[in-house]
Amino acid sequence: MSSQKKRTFKIEAFKHRVEVDPKYAEKTWKVLEHAIHEIYNHNASGLSFEELYRNAYNMVLHKFGEKLYSGLVATMTWHLKEMSKSIESAQGGLFLEELNRQWADHNKALQMIRDILMYMDRTFVPSSHKTPVHELGLNLWRDNIIHSSKIQTRLVSTLLELIQKERTGEVINRGLMRNITKMLMDLGSLVYQENFEKPFLEVSANFYSCESQQFIESCDCGEYLNKAERRLNEEMERVSQYLDAKTEPKITHVVETEMIANHMQRLVYMESSGLVSMLVDDKYDDLSRMYSLFRRVPDGLSTIRDVMTSHLRETGKQLVTDPDKLRDPVDFVQRLLNEKDKHDRIITAAFNNDKTFQNALNSSFEYFINLNSRSPEFISLYVDDKLRKGLKGVSEEDVEIVLDKVMMLFRYLQEKDVFEKYYKQHLAKRLLSGKTVSDDAERSLIVKLKTECGYQFTSKLEGMFTDMKTSQDTMQGFYASQSASDGADGPSLAVQVLTTGSWPTQPIAPCNLPPEIMGVCERFRAFYLGTHTGRRLTWQTNMGTADLKATFAKNQKHELNVSTYQMCILMLFNSSDRLTYREIEQATDIPASDLKRCLQSLACVKGKNVLGKDPMGKDIAEDDAFAVNDKFSSKFFKVKIGTVAAQKESEPEKQETRQRVEEDRKPQIEAAIVRIMKSRRVLDHNNIVTEVTKQLQARFLPNPVVIKKRIESLIEREFLERDKVDRKLYRYLA
Amino acid sequence: MKAATMCEFSRQEFIGGLQSLGVDTIQKFREKIPSLRAELKDDQKFREIYNFAFGWAKEKGQKSLSLETAIGMWQLLFAEKHWPLVDHWCDFLQVRHNKSITRDTWSQLLEFAKTIVPQLSNYDAEGAWPYLIDEFVEYLYENGIVRRIN
Repeated sequence: MSSQKKRTFKIEAFKHRVEVDPKYAEKTWKVLEHAIHEIYNHNASGLSFEELYRNAYNMVLHKFGEKLYSGLVATMTWHLKEMSKSIESAQGGLFLEELNRQWADHNKALQMIRDILMYMDRTFVPSSHKTPVHELGLNLWRDNIIHSSKIQTRLVSTLLELIQKERTGEVINRGLMRNITKMLMDLGSLVYQENFEKPFLEVSANFYSCESQQFIESCDCGEYLNKAERRLNEEMERVSQYLDAKTEPKITHVVETEMIANHMQRLVYMESSGLVSMLVDDKYDDLSRMYSLFRRVPDGLSTIRDVMTSHLRETGKQLVTDPDKLRDPVDFVQRLLNEKDKHDRIITAAFNNDKTFQNALNSSFEYFINLNSRSPEFISLYVDDKLRKGLKGVSEEDVEIVLDKVMMLFRYLQEKDVFEKYYKQHLAKRLLSGKTVSDDAERSLIVKLKTECGYQFTSKLEGMFTDMKTSQDTMQGFYASQSASDGADGPSLAVQVLTTGSWPTQPIAPCNLPPEIMGVCERFRAFYLGTHTGRRLTWQTNMGTADLKATFAKNQKHELNVSTYQMCILMLFNSSDRLTYREIEQATDIPASDLKRCLQSLACVKGKNVLGKDPMGKDIAEDDAFAVNDKFSSKFFKVKIGTVAAQKESEPEKQETRQRVEEDRKPQIEAAIVRIMKSRRVLDHNNIVTEVTKQLQARFLPNPVVIKKRIESLIEREFLERDKVDRKLYRYLA
Repeated sequence: MKAATMCEFSRQEFIGGLQSLGVDTIQKFREKIPSLRAELKDDQKFREIYNFAFGWAKEKGQKSLSLETAIGMWQLLFAEKHWPLVDHWCDFLQVRHNKSITRDTWSQLLEFAKTIVPQLSNYDAEGAWPYLIDEFVEYLYENGIVRRIN
């Protein structure tokens, strides 16, 4: 039993008294120094890694790290200087190869040295803030080789020379190039930039500046673009093959600037091969190339777009103002559609469906279509032609395509209300003459218009269709109600009852109908008013048609299809052989201008002259005499004389329509003003004009002068008043 | 100005008018006339009289003033308060307008005469002037009466 002694135990380290040989450090260093030499002399196989590592370890342990490190620096530097001499003395093409070889050797040596000195690298180096071995090796290489005066300039010029050779078509050693540039990158990106990239970019800029000047003098636009594209691709390939990736955007920028940006204007405007001729000739490949190249430079695409826009506007302006092209409305519109199709294709095929280009196309079309005030009328005539005959036998999908194209043109119109007026007129004629190719197509277009412009635009049009349907039902009822005896030998009647207000007809006093017709007309009136009391029927004698059976000399029979007016005129000749203009006018009560036109179409048109006129000639005078032309002949049994198809208006008709449109606009403008003032209460003049324009622009563009007049009219009628203090302000009067 | 009809004073109106002027003898009336004339020189007073004149000069039941009467009134009023363009204005109306004058046009004309210089250098086309006045300006330019600036 031992007593508890309070004694702290200490275990001391075994102090091994090591005799430090004063020459220990020097001896150890010499071993290592020798090893380094051997490594650089490619004699490393005879060395023991373990021994060398241990030696280095011991040196550091015994606080001789400084000596080791500085020794390393000195030794390495000495070797590098030798290597430098060897590289300098290399002749011509062998220079780069020698440099490459020495670099590879140095790296291998460095690797081994680093491994041996790893302990120093991990302990002494960080604590004394020295450069780690690997990095040290690179820095020494840089300082002694790359920045050596005899090597530095030679290196750059050799590299650039080789690239120049490659650019002129020679084959060079790309692998070697890659190694050299990689070496420079390994030494630090600044070294790469200073010793290669910067001069490379400068030289390239000069090269391309000269080359582009040469090309532009000798090539046309398409060829030039081809060459530019090739050079660009070449440079990108060069980078991927043997330069650092970061150089790519820099060199492509150089090529883009020198070859494209600096010559953009000249290329685009080049005579007979520039942008405009490419557009005209549908050169999709060239245009596509131009687009992708110009995209890379500032303002490139906007330049193309601007030139395209002004070209379009010019061409469009020609199309709509050239009197030759305005002769046939259907042709006119077809030309517009063709232009649009052509440019749509270009934008899709060559301009990557770029939305900004699509917008430029749209704004150009909107600009020039509205330069011609007859565009709305012509577009309606185009539709009329299609619905009357153009779309006969066409498949449903194709019909839709045509109608959609028409809608697209419609959207460009500023004066949509003018279109509406004409469309109504033309539709009325189509419906009443039964000359529409497809009911479905008609309705489809109405639906499209409704989607575009709202219910109000199409409500009257739909009313017209309804009237037609109702009239059919009415006629069935009428025939059913007539007993067999009623007018069995008389003329057969087909009536369309039109709701005033839906149809674009002007109420007109009916002319004098022949007695044979009066009978059946009265019977119809009685029947209709029997079922619809409180309504008023007026015969629209300016719109009807009639089929007459006529017998000429030698018993030649024909069936004549004529207008109601013409029927009234012709029936007179059943009781008189010869009538003067004045007599006809008195008997029929047909308005003078219409009467003259009817007589002209009955007497003055070859192949349709069922009447003869004395004296001959186109002009109708009061005393001219008319008689049946017994010698009339036609190879057809049925002869059509009436003018029912829609045609483009004569000048006076056009003025009249335009006037009616202006009159219709006044109440719309006033309604807009009142709406705006009601909600705003007080508003200044300019703002009213802006707001009104905004509200109405879907239908037409109101004239500010007209708006002003409407405001004054509203002031006069005490809807608005001027503010007492600020005369530019208007106030709504409740 | 409490007379209901142009060129006609009812006895009541005559006496009432004189009373409000503080006049009860011919002598005082004669003395009052220069000061009445002077009153016209006052801007505010002139505007009141001018605008009153429209309602007073037009036919009963009509909304607008006949052109002939309007021209006569303008000649009279602008004889006192001088406006250099008054004759051109009257010519213009007879040649181009030939219809009656609305109240708005009448009152806006005074503003025009007062604020816009005869050379039209401070005329603003966006100034919400009645369209008749805009047309008058065009007329002046077209006929070389005023040189167009800019």
